[in-house]
Amino acid sequence: MWYGCLDILQSSFGVLADSTSLRPDEFWAIEGAHFELKRGESIGIIGPNGSGKTTLLKMLNGIFMPDRGRIEVHGKMGALIQVGAGFHPMLSGRENIYINGAILGMTTKEIDEKFDSIVDFADIGDFLESPVKFYSSGMYVRLGFAIAVHCRPDILLIDEVLAVGDLKFQTKCLKFITHNVLKNGCTIVFVSHSRYAIEDVCQKAIYFNKGRMIKIGKTTDVLGKYLQDIKDEENTLGKKLSDGFDAEGITRLVFLDKEGQIKNQFKSGDEVKIRFYYSFKAMVRNPSVGITFVHNDPRYSVVSSSDYIFNLHSGYDHFNVESLQGQGYFEVSIDCLYIPVGIYTCLIYLFNENFMNLVRKYENAASLEVLWRDDRPQRSLIDLPHRWTRSEEAGA
Amino acid sequence: MQQIRVYEPHKQLKQGINIWREMFGELFDFRELIWRLFARDLSAKYKQSFLGNSWCLFMPFVAIGTFMYLNHAGILHIRQTPMPYPLYALIGLSIWQIFATGLNSGANSLVGAGDLVTKINFPREVLVIASMAQSVFEFLIKFVLILVFFFIFKYVPSWKIVFFPFVLLPLVFLTIGLSLILSLLNGVMRDIGNMVSLLLMFLMFLTPVLYPLPSQHFLLLKLNFLSPLINAPRELMTDGSIHQPLYYGVASVISLLLFLMAWRIFHLAETKIPERI
Repeated sequence: MWYGCLDILQSSFGVLADSTSLRPDEFWAIEGAHFELKRGESIGIIGPNGSGKTTLLKMLNGIFMPDRGRIEVHGKMGALIQVGAGFHPMLSGRENIYINGAILGMTTKEIDEKFDSIVDFADIGDFLESPVKFYSSGMYVRLGFAIAVHCRPDILLIDEVLAVGDLKFQTKCLKFITHNVLKNGCTIVFVSHSRYAIEDVCQKAIYFNKGRMIKIGKTTDVLGKYLQDIKDEENTLGKKLSDGFDAEGITRLVFLDKEGQIKNQFKSGDEVKIRFYYSFKAMVRNPSVGITFVHNDPRYSVVSSSDYIFNLHSGYDHFNVESLQGQGYFEVSIDCLYIPVGIYTCLIYLFNENFMNLVRKYENAASLEVLWRDDRPQRSLIDLPHRWTRSEEAGA
Repeated sequence: MQQIRVYEPHKQLKQGINIWREMFGELFDFRELIWRLFARDLSAKYKQSFLGNSWCLFMPFVAIGTFMYLNHAGILHIRQTPMPYPLYALIGLSIWQIFATGLNSGANSLVGAGDLVTKINFPREVLVIASMAQSVFEFLIKFVLILVFFFIFKYVPSWKIVFFPFVLLPLVFLTIGLSLILSLLNGVMRDIGNMVSLLLMFLMFLTPVLYPLPSQHFLLLKLNFLSPLINAPRELMTDGSIHQPLYYGVASVISLLLFLMAWRIFHLAETKIPERI
């Protein structure tokens, strides 16, 4: 609070405050950010929460003044940062369109001209005439977005507003941005957590972390670095293997590629062999082994980790062994590993008595990473074998 | 022609005299927004409210009634007023309310606007002026009541009543000026908003709103330069002349200077507000 008063007093009386050094308890929200954007280009800003992305947008919008450095903006700026700013709950949608439009800088004449188009985009039907407080959160966002999108600025700042709204709405907004906005030579600065949206919309990207620009360049490169950093932080793959194994029971588990090399990174569709090394001091009857792949990767949003992606069990496959003693290994061959991309933690099981009796369960004892194939961009998590043909016959 | 904007630290301070042109220009560009915000607050008051905008007529009746009763009971001794007391008090109160509600809502306008201040870029003076417009509008409603009172008490106002709006201007400017500064400070120190409401209550008693000034010299009452700003319009309406033109003149000049200074300070410090509010 006191810093605030001091700042205001200094600004009012024209005292040049030293804003280049930090006072106690202050930190640089953004440091050393430096880039240039030409007309018609679009740039994405990605990074973890709290890295300074929204602060950067606010600085570009002229809300925060830089304490050090210089920002130069050529053209009219529009922002999709706060949806529904200035909405009064008691007033109807129609009246709020005029208010919000005026706040965003449109004149009454402009709003009149675009009114029908705005209402059409928002798709709220008869609710246009009822007070905004009765709107569902989705309708609220749709209306706010519809108004903001019709501003026709030269530069558009978008801040994670696409995160709300249903799927239909998100697709509509993205389509509008890529078709209408980009086509008109509008420049876009896009902050989003959806990597697919950023790939679609932006040619360049910046990776921000803790206020610093970590990488700037082509979208695919920057996204790659970002995902790499997340993986390194979590370090799931680096966890010590064989930590959970015993001297008795299953002693080791390895993954082999088709040449027999021990690896734990495979490409989607690769041939994989899994070897379960065992050591039984006493005789074991009808032993069977199993492995379950649990998707455990912060970079991807897959089903919850209580659903298993893939499961193998020698007993289900009727791979019967009467009894076993001593040391050796079980091996299972998977012709093509077509499971979702990502890091997996494996659960390993040892049963006896025809898988009636669970002898051991090994958790966090093995992990595996499945990577996407090299020859095409990753658009989904799963690959499947497929073949294209074409014919000139007319359809049914 | 393309707009080019540059954001640098201390940019404002390098501009010098051109800053006035920028300030006026900004407000002119956003004149429609001022109107929209004012219309919004007005219609919002009408919806879901039985009294709606006529609420502002309620308070004068209560105040005047109470004072008349206290005078009658001998608790307060109000000197003889040049016109029937209810009329005198109503005019005084209405003029005072321009200042009081204007200052109150103005001081809280930035804080109350919430996301508008922190997420959208527009000149924040607009918010203060829009709330002032609200206060002036309420005065217009009370003015109708004043005209009714003129009729009831068979008191004919002077023809110079047409100059009345101009004589009110210094008070309006003073209110806007003080609102600008207070809203700025309220953004960082939230107690300011509460302090203002409290102080206004007592300031009303120290100003000749509901009573005429005594002829003896009481220093505090004399220094309160709100008195001529309230008395002068009232006198013009009723008498047709301003009783203490020098006093009024000095007060007007102070008000205008204060307004200009406040506006300048607000414009310079405006950029720090979204960071702290």
